[in-house]
Amino acid sequence: MSSIKQIPVIEEKRTNPLARVFDELVRFCRSRSLFLLHYCTGCGAIELPPAMTSRFDMERLGIQPMVSPRQADILLITGYVSIKTLKRVILTYEQMGSPKYVIGICSCTVNGGMYWQSYATAKKLDEYMPVDLYIAGCMPRPEAVIEGLQQLMQRIKTGEAKGWEDYYRNYDYYLGNQQKLFGNDWQTPTDVITEAKHYDLLGEGTLGEHTALLEQHQQPLEALEMRLGHQVKEPAE
Amino acid sequence: MSKEIAHWLDNLLEEIEGIKVRRKSSRRVRVDVPADALPALLELLQGRAGYIHLSAISCVDWIEEEEFELVYHVWSYESHSLVSAHIRIARDPGVYLSVYDLYQPAAFFERDIHEMYGIHFEGSPNMEKFILTEWNGPPPMRKEFDSEAYINEHLSWQNYNPEWLQELIAEGGGIIIPPEEQRFSQKKK
Ligand code: SF4
Repeated sequence: MSSIKQIPVIEEKRTNPLARVFDELVRFCRSRSLFLLHYCTGCGAIELPPAMTSRFDMERLGIQPMVSPRQADILLITGYVSIKTLKRVILTYEQMGSPKYVIGICSCTVNGGMYWQSYATAKKLDEYMPVDLYIAGCMPRPEAVIEGLQQLMQRIKTGEAKGWEDYYRNYDYYLGNQQKLFGNDWQTPTDVITEAKHYDLLGEGTLGEHTALLEQHQQPLEALEMRLGHQVKEPAE
Repeated sequence: MSKEIAHWLDNLLEEIEGIKVRRKSSRRVRVDVPADALPALLELLQGRAGYIHLSAISCVDWIEEEEFELVYHVWSYESHSLVSAHIRIARDPGVYLSVYDLYQPAAFFERDIHEMYGIHFEGSPNMEKFILTEWNGPPPMRKEFDSEAYINEHLSWQNYNPEWLQELIAEGGGIIIPPEEQRFSQKKK
């Protein structure tokens, strides 16, 4: 599961003779218009401004920074992920609309990097969410970042970047690792299983012992109370 | 002018019993005091010498001597100099007085030290978790906490041993630091 190549490719039956042509067109368009959410967790983020601005200019590839996870296609994790941050990263990832891609920049996301001995940082990012591409280095230069982004575009175009499908198909595995780190009462506000059904990506690994554990204590999500204006909450008696 | 102040400060400090003053430079003084004399010293420095800024409290764990060292760094805007007051307290039970009533920023430093070393400061306004809000293990900066054993238990590693690295190691290169040289928990007693 940790390697892209091991993800099974499921061939679907398509009846429309033009379906494949459309697929290819859609994939081409997708790869040419990517919005990037950079979650600057660590020091590697410092190489992003030159990669984004005029010197290396990732916009000429059609990649632009985006401000909210809901509108972003790529989640860029730039550096070491502390366990506290990892929770937020997972929440952010689950909020993004599919298809979504994750890039791990820096050696720290690969294997803890120079924080390998630290109690506070997670070591393997791809245990907790599928990573499509790693760009190793401490820290990778903007050239490497641009190269990595180009590779991702290529993979999207050929349909190889399927990490997000893997998250739905093997949700139990990812949830298990998350529970191991955050405790058994870990719950995110996103209902991943329902989403998997929605995308028709319910695989063998979607449900399992860890999701059963989740269902035991899962609190139904409630809409937040709507208020107009600024109100100060009365302290409880 | 600053020489005068320095001289005057040295005289002032001699008022306290059991004090050892070492002047590191014209703008840095290190003082070692017994733990119970520290509040009096800080009061003196703050009230009579203008050391109104507590810039940090740091902590060192001397596990072999079974002691914690607390260092209070106070700065004066008048003489532009720093006094570092060192005290030692017993590691067990690890309790000391808060200096919150003298210096209010101490609340943060004490809370931080409490979280990282487990020292309890009596009279500090808040001893709750500060940064490690989602951490349930022992105070991680104490020397007996074995970070490596902890991560081996809770986290796993990417298997990464490429050929080029093996070649380097075979030639005697690579980064090879024997664990016992690097890690406190595996040091020979
Ligand atoms: S790999 Fe290096 S530059 Fe990147 S986050 Fe880790 S320490 Fe920082």
